[in-house]
Amino acid sequence: MSERINQHSVTSSPFALRPRSTAALVLASLVGVVGFGWPFLTDPDSALGGHSSDAPYLFVVLLPLVVGIVLAELSEGGMDAKAVAMLGVLAATGAALRALSPGTAGFEPTLFLLVLAGRVFGAGFGFALGAIVIFASALVTGGVGPWMPFQMVGLAWVGLLAGVLPRAGGRKERWLLAVYAGGASFAFGALLNLSFWPFSSSLPPGLAYAPGDPAMNNLGHYAAFYVATSFGWDCVRAVVNTTLVLLAGRPVLAALRRAARRAAFEAPAGFRAPERP
Amino acid sequence: MIRFESVSVRYSEAPAPILKDVTFTVAEGELCLVVGQTGSGKTTLLRAINGLVPHFTGGTLSGRVLVDGRDTRTHRPRDLADVVGVVGQNPLANFVTDTVEDELAYGMESLGLPPDVMRTRVEETLDLLGLSDVRARPIASLSGGQQQRVAIGAVLTTHPRVLVLDEPTSALDPQAAEDVLAALQRLVHDLGVTVVLAEHRLERVVQYADQVVLVPGGGQALEVGDPAEILASSAVAPPVVELARLAGWHPPPLSVRDARRLAGPLRDRLAGLPSPEGPQDQVDTTSGLPRDRPAATTPIAAVRGLVVRYGGRRTAQPPALRDLDLEVAPGEVVALMGRNGAGKSSLLNALVGLVRPAAGGVRVGTVDPASAKPAAIARAAGLVPQEPGDLLYASSVGEECRQADRDFAAEPGRCARILARLAPGIPANRHPRDLSEGQRLCLALAVILTAQPPLLLLDEPTRGLDYGAKARLADIVRALANGDGASDGTQDARRDRGNGVSGGRHAVIFATHDVELVAEVATRVVVLADGDLVADGPVASVVGSSPTFAPQVAKILRPLPWLTVSQVAAALGSA
Amino acid sequence: MRAAHRPTLPRHLHPGAWWLWAVGLATAASRTTNPLLLLLVLAVAGYVVAARRTTAPWARSYAAFVKVGLAVILIRIVFQAIFGAAVTGRTVLFTVPEVPLPEWMQGIRIGGSVTAEALLAALYDGLRLAAVLGCVGAANALANPKRLLATMPGALYELGVAVVVAMTFAPQLVTDAARARAARRLRGQPDRGLRSVRATAVPVLEGALERSLALAAAMDSRGYGRVGTLPAATRFVTGALVLTGLLGICVGVYGLLDAGSPPVFGLPMLAAGSLLAGLGLVVGGRRTLRTKYRPDPWALPEWLVAVSGCAVAATYVWSAAQGVEGLTVPAMPLTMPDLPVVPALGTLVALLPAWLAPPPPRVGAGDSEAAPARVAAGSERDGTPAADVDRPREVSR
Repeated sequence: MSERINQHSVTSSPFALRPRSTAALVLASLVGVVGFGWPFLTDPDSALGGHSSDAPYLFVVLLPLVVGIVLAELSEGGMDAKAVAMLGVLAATGAALRALSPGTAGFEPTLFLLVLAGRVFGAGFGFALGAIVIFASALVTGGVGPWMPFQMVGLAWVGLLAGVLPRAGGRKERWLLAVYAGGASFAFGALLNLSFWPFSSSLPPGLAYAPGDPAMNNLGHYAAFYVATSFGWDCVRAVVNTTLVLLAGRPVLAALRRAARRAAFEAPAGFRAPERP
Repeated sequence: MIRFESVSVRYSEAPAPILKDVTFTVAEGELCLVVGQTGSGKTTLLRAINGLVPHFTGGTLSGRVLVDGRDTRTHRPRDLADVVGVVGQNPLANFVTDTVEDELAYGMESLGLPPDVMRTRVEETLDLLGLSDVRARPIASLSGGQQQRVAIGAVLTTHPRVLVLDEPTSALDPQAAEDVLAALQRLVHDLGVTVVLAEHRLERVVQYADQVVLVPGGGQALEVGDPAEILASSAVAPPVVELARLAGWHPPPLSVRDARRLAGPLRDRLAGLPSPEGPQDQVDTTSGLPRDRPAATTPIAAVRGLVVRYGGRRTAQPPALRDLDLEVAPGEVVALMGRNGAGKSSLLNALVGLVRPAAGGVRVGTVDPASAKPAAIARAAGLVPQEPGDLLYASSVGEECRQADRDFAAEPGRCARILARLAPGIPANRHPRDLSEGQRLCLALAVILTAQPPLLLLDEPTRGLDYGAKARLADIVRALANGDGASDGTQDARRDRGNGVSGGRHAVIFATHDVELVAEVATRVVVLADGDLVADGPVASVVGSSPTFAPQVAKILRPLPWLTVSQVAAALGSA
Repeated sequence: MRAAHRPTLPRHLHPGAWWLWAVGLATAASRTTNPLLLLLVLAVAGYVVAARRTTAPWARSYAAFVKVGLAVILIRIVFQAIFGAAVTGRTVLFTVPEVPLPEWMQGIRIGGSVTAEALLAALYDGLRLAAVLGCVGAANALANPKRLLATMPGALYELGVAVVVAMTFAPQLVTDAARARAARRLRGQPDRGLRSVRATAVPVLEGALERSLALAAAMDSRGYGRVGTLPAATRFVTGALVLTGLLGICVGVYGLLDAGSPPVFGLPMLAAGSLLAGLGLVVGGRRTLRTKYRPDPWALPEWLVAVSGCAVAATYVWSAAQGVEGLTVPAMPLTMPDLPVVPALGTLVALLPAWLAPPPPRVGAGDSEAAPARVAAGSERDGTPAADVDRPREVSR
């Protein structure tokens, strides 16, 4: 046996994004954009514009499919046991945080964990973790429903983008993540409201979706609807998550990084001929 | 079956190899016991058998390891799954699924076995390990012994020819440990499985071993051979072997039964000598204080008519504690014994206010833990929980100590000073999670002692400790009870606070299954069963006569009242 | 007849069958605003749940979902009363003082007179949503989520394992968190408030991460990921299929949005893309040569349950297409809604699983679902019963 020690190939990212999975991610995200944003994108005469009440059924089926494809592509060619275990344990933590937090709407500190984990383990891991947290917690609590695909995509994006934030360190990094966590809290809330807004029929015209109206018009209506209904909740969510990042960000980041180091994904294992004295 | 050929292992960031030039073989159907202190490389040795070292952990392995003819250089752990089964220390950390049957089937599913084979093997394994009653239960609801048997069953279903177990009983109580070891015995004898086992509590297993591998640590050469021969000179040895050394039996007996046969002359010699002094008396003589009975002084803790129940008023669950009375005086070391679920932890938790009594009262010093603020309770009584790591959350030992000083409003540096006395030489920049079990326990102890509580409570402190760490813990407990180990020497400060503690002598209450520790340090034993106090008295009378709680030396010398090797040595020395 | 086909022999029905049944029922509910039909749907779902649920923790989902549905109805009505513009009626019940709004918020009115018609419209609309929620809740209550997970395609095997791990660990983490919070009190600190978050979160997270490594070692030693690398050609084919499929879905979806695109870029493209992508998943999933221990059979009862759900959906869709009276009830003028015969009879078909599905196995002391509370809180340690974890919180109050 000759020496074959490949040194310094330790990586902290269990799901490195390869061209194939990146392509799948981009395409799936495009579908996701339509899944949320179709009220602003449809032509009045288009197929979807004509059957806008059927749109959610379409996406409830389509979104899990595309998320599944991305996850399959991310784990294509087999997935390290360490990565699976890490994903499972972090998803359990996220699900437990969801279960522990009082009032599901505003206080969800899951985002905080997701942002930090995405930052440490990378964009692909963040995407997978976001999707799996929702899935696992829905299964644990018996809360599987039509909203689940939308939550999965929303949270997966939050984790994905956390993984592509610019480099920074120390205090600067924590502020970056805190601001991101705050922004993501609003964005997540706004996205999820968007998924049911078009069918909220008992809204006044100024807040309601008007099929066929120009996109800018509907955007205005939606903004008013969002401010009127869920802005307050999301403020609480944003404040909680931002505070958590500032307060507990350092030790949690350190813990995650330590775990990544100790797990040493793809640790270099070497063999040598016996050392004869 | 297993062959190590000049194996050395060096981890990537380690300066020196942890194993150096290891060569030995384990024949088919043998039970091989791996002995060594924490950190000596035992786990590395075990993990090298199925290739987890270095495939999983990283690092460099030189030489080669052959298992059933397969070379770990070319076979990854997963490729050896049908030959080697590995069981870890904490069974809960190894379960993938959550019910017994699914867990048993998991490994076979990964190997792609056909469904009918899987079904047969699951049924066989359930019977073999006595798990058929709990087959559909969630694993989390099982007892520790059942969980460990599930963990063994889960690797057995792939029909491995080698079973590797890393301290499978160290987290279990004696009864559960017996269950697990009996199951292992059966595997070796009936099925011819080769078993490699690492274990701290040698007294439990050494009598079954065919071969012992002693890992001395520090890269020194391994000693491999017959159990009795290896242990005769080993640094780690069970009490029966230590007694044999004292009595000059060679080769040393490994079981109580063999030792009793040889012990006739020793018993005759001891029968003529005065009875041993219990630790109580030792404490008194060494500290030079007048011997005071508990009733004569103000108790540190007083429990009256305590009832603890869980799950609210409407449950049919029996109370965890019923109508319990207990008084503990300074200088006492009380061992709480009893089965799992007997109420030991409930009593400790009630003493620090983590559990509110349903009836009756608890008083610790001048504080009522049920209503006092956490800060006040922490100054009256300190509890080190079963998982000492729960207390620790800083990123380094030094920071942990500083945080403890702030938490308890102590002068800076007090916690670090205490730690330096309990366990010298722990680097301040080490991460608490990277410490050994014993060091972590000392750190948690130091944190709790920073508040200078006159009453110290320990919940299962010896779980996972090796002989060295246990001996160190025994010294610490004795010193605390004596008053001379009182933390950092600032006893004046405590007297100034005027909380009625004389001379800085702590009272210690510890819940444990470890009879050897009880025999070593306790002055009094309280036995709980089903929430009732069933026995309370000096160690020799409670423990010495009990068939389950008696330490090895007592079993060998019965009906004589000696409990530990050191007592026997003292008696023989003074005679 | 094989045992699996008999509807009388107790066993767990395939979770997929329950979901198909529930989705059928939910589709039906979404096609009507007739409160009588909606209540009928809820009653049918409730009856089947009561007849065929187990004692597992998730079996309580139906009641939880119905409660959420009631909240939805309430919110809708309150919204209607405050913004009250969508429906104008003549029967004024009461008047909320109007809040003057600035010019740029035109189209929004707050306050004004609240009519019975408006509230009724909100009620019908909310009820429809509540009925859909009830059907989803029924599926959650009847289908075992772990069994559902086992039906994931092979290409998602790793992720499925991660989810299983997450579901196993989540309850343990809740116990860990309670322990860490108790430890906080042992250090003389209050165990509530934002300040304690760090001291609780860090030990729990560190412990969890440590366990993940131990678990990974255990999985690796037990053959996880052993089977499996596809030949490069198959991997290429999988990738091509999946990516082309995704592209097809993308084009299809945008085709649906755009009125100017030829019709072929709409639904046909979408269907073709989904098919290709699905095929890719199947081909990619073949790399895992795993087998399944005691898989759920799909036998006669599964077919009957699934078909009964689809039948309801079909009845409603057909009725809507035929313009059957009474499927939608106008809120104006105020009238008592009629019960249309065909959809009502169709709804009753969904009641059949109460007899056609095999009863769940009776849970004895040893069955997996017998001790839900203990699993949730976990009490692996010495004598600390499950409820123990809640005590510290009580004390600190």
